[in-house]
Amino acid sequence: MKKEIILVANLCSGCGACVVACMDENDIYPEKGQPAFRLVSKVEEGRFPDAVIRYVSAGCRHCADSPCAAACPTGAITKNPDNGAVLVNRELCTGCHNCAPACPFGVPRYDADGRMLKCDLCVDRLAAGLEPACVRVCPLGALRFGPAQELTEQTERKFAG
Amino acid sequence: MNNLQESLRGKMPGSGIEVGKSICTICDPQTQCGLDLFLKDGRIIKVEGSREHPYNAGTLCAKGAALRQYVYSADRLRTPLKRTGPRGSGQFQPISWDEALTTIAAKLREIKEETGPEGVAFFAGYTKYFRPYLKRLAHAFGSPNYLTESSTCHTATAMAQTLVFGQPGGPDLKNTNCLLVWSANPFHTNPGNARAILRGRERGMKLIVVDPRQTPTTAQADIHLPVRPGTDGALALAMAGVIIGEGLYDRDFVANHSYGFEEYRDYVQGFTPETGEELTGVPAERIRAAARLYASVKPAAIMPSASPVVHHTNGVQNYRAVFALAGLTGNYDVTGGNFVRPPSFIYAPGLIPTREHQFTQCRPWSGMAPRIGADRFPVWTETAGGEAQAMHLPYQIRSGGPYPVRAVLGFGMNYRMWPDSQGVLDSLAKLDLFVDVDIFMTDTCRYADIVLPACSSVERAELRCYPVGYIVFTTPAIAPLYDSRSDVDIIYALADKLGLDDPLFQAGYEASVDWILDPARITVAELKKHPEGMFVPNPMKLPEKKYLQNGFKTPSGKMEFKSRILEKYEGEPGFEALPVYRPPKYSPGASPELAREYPFILNTGSRLPMFVHSRTFRLTWASSLRPNHPAADLNPDDAARLGIGQDDDIRISTPKDAIVVKANLTQMVQRGVVHMYHAHPEADVNLLFEGDYLDPLSGFPGFKSALCKVEKVGGGGLF
Repeated sequence: MKKEIILVANLCSGCGACVVACMDENDIYPEKGQPAFRLVSKVEEGRFPDAVIRYVSAGCRHCADSPCAAACPTGAITKNPDNGAVLVNRELCTGCHNCAPACPFGVPRYDADGRMLKCDLCVDRLAAGLEPACVRVCPLGALRFGPAQELTEQTERKFAG
Repeated sequence: MNNLQESLRGKMPGSGIEVGKSICTICDPQTQCGLDLFLKDGRIIKVEGSREHPYNAGTLCAKGAALRQYVYSADRLRTPLKRTGPRGSGQFQPISWDEALTTIAAKLREIKEETGPEGVAFFAGYTKYFRPYLKRLAHAFGSPNYLTESSTCHTATAMAQTLVFGQPGGPDLKNTNCLLVWSANPFHTNPGNARAILRGRERGMKLIVVDPRQTPTTAQADIHLPVRPGTDGALALAMAGVIIGEGLYDRDFVANHSYGFEEYRDYVQGFTPETGEELTGVPAERIRAAARLYASVKPAAIMPSASPVVHHTNGVQNYRAVFALAGLTGNYDVTGGNFVRPPSFIYAPGLIPTREHQFTQCRPWSGMAPRIGADRFPVWTETAGGEAQAMHLPYQIRSGGPYPVRAVLGFGMNYRMWPDSQGVLDSLAKLDLFVDVDIFMTDTCRYADIVLPACSSVERAELRCYPVGYIVFTTPAIAPLYDSRSDVDIIYALADKLGLDDPLFQAGYEASVDWILDPARITVAELKKHPEGMFVPNPMKLPEKKYLQNGFKTPSGKMEFKSRILEKYEGEPGFEALPVYRPPKYSPGASPELAREYPFILNTGSRLPMFVHSRTFRLTWASSLRPNHPAADLNPDDAARLGIGQDDDIRISTPKDAIVVKANLTQMVQRGVVHMYHAHPEADVNLLFEGDYLDPLSGFPGFKSALCKVEKVGGGGLF
């Protein structure tokens, strides 16, 4: 069964370790204007001291239907049937940015030449039997990697009621 | 792409990539995470947490994950430097190590001969691994003036516990059934403790969290007590009132093992949950519920924080009131309570005996002049262990009394640690010699006469112990960059240049570590076979209730509701023998007139997950997580009232000074309190504090409750 990155939302503290580990793994340097592949955001509802504050760590979902790939006129974006990763062949990317509005999550980023960049699910690590860098670093086990169905059932059992 | 390129891109072992072992010391409260350093041609290309390390088990926090930027920062110092321009100008010329050390040693010897060795102060900031060796250097030289960053961190918390119990006891997280977290947010500061809390919750552990903010820790709690900053003592006394009033206290412990209970009980009667609500802002019903839960679930443990409660002008008294709850409920030194584990090395209990104290205190206090601050902070001097109080350092440099301080040898020193930070710079300018050892060219370095380049944790060898009975003596994963050296190498080279007649300095670093570890029967040679660390061979088996055999290490030999040490100061405000609650010096309760003009409580330094002091500001991986920083956290209701929007420029001012920062609006903070993270070079919030805004017991600054005004900058007009 294909493995995915899953966030156990009530364990995420918004610490940002996943964002940094991703930048270390992928050599992303904000000072050069290079945006991160993964973002952590905070959602607040209600008022202190009874506000509900949630953190969400999000990157590319590697969607099954991959609207970015459908929108790509050159076939640069493909979904790998083996590991499920949605990957960009940067030699085919012309920098048209059609993928940007197609993605419902705002994932595509672009380098200085305008070519698309995004999370590749750490496919090189996966090939070696390792988990993605963001999952490895997560200090609270909020980010997990595994078959989606299995992880969802596990966390639902654990946090039921 | 061929295989080599792929494995390089994935940064995995093989294809010329090796894995080196080390530990991260970017933050340093007993949390040194194990590191796997992926090395290509001697350069780190990626960092991961070591799976086999019992503290971090393969994970890292945002700060540690940014270690590669820390090691290879463009701000790294490369050679020893001698100042050539005015102080602060940043004009230096490179000099050799020999010239630097010879110049320093000559000046220190001159001061020692002319006015005495006490005229040289030896200061330790971050990191902490070199502290024992620096303390020995100070005392071997003849100076009592070994001072540290712990003059504003953690020591006052230990003092409060020492006054109550004679010796601190930490929360036994593994076995407790009820955890009372008092102003800590380990989810952002100490992930190991956060994981322990999550494991505790899985087995049904109750959780009460006292915090002026809403944090990921309070989100896990059964009861959150949203205390107004600086009123912790009143909250603890109100809880004690419930516990005593409802007969929930441990009668056997109180009758047989405590001192001063009757007077404490009489004093506590003045605090009901309703008065508690009035003083602290915490709803009376929550106080009642928390007191009942903490007192009725056994065993229960208090998890203190390093500094938030003691960063108030009434901090030690407040924390005495909190720790008295552990005595009242019989939870001191029991399994699952606040269990006493003696420290092994650099504050960490490691389940081994060592000779750390004998190593550091190589000359008795009686053989040296009084420490800096000894008269001004006598309770500190009596109970804080072997250090001078660094908060008094700038005063003594300026006043010259009771004796002149003419030189400061600083390691990892940051002048923005002090309140009235500008006043500290003015004092340092009066020195005959100011040496700063650091890894980066910091703003403090710019004021030094000589700057020495230190290296990072991954470039050196250091000894660390862990509470689970784990020990490591690291091996450098890479050689020191440029012409940098480890702090310990600098200390031993200076001891040599000073010609100190000290057998352990002469024997060298590793021989000193062997000497310290001798009682544990662990050697450096053995530790070097395990560069990732190892479990200690014969962990100490510690019984509970050790006081049954030995009594408490207090003057009365009992747990003290009423402090015998403080009884000596009868009549002095702030020194009361009972844990008397007074509001912070500058607060709506204590200075209502000031509060009319400065209506906000200013709380500084509450932790953010990507920063620890100033240490990661320069790392873009960390700083990108809070792109609007320097920013202050403000409740949206307060902001709306003042016409302030997200990321607007705001001015925070006290009668002393003002800074301009961005507004960060969040429901994490309560109305009426503005939170500003400390030490930022462009917005140093410590400029806003008076230098003597200190707790008279500990000397700790009241960083977490002063009064301030918040205004929108440039608001009010059309143009």
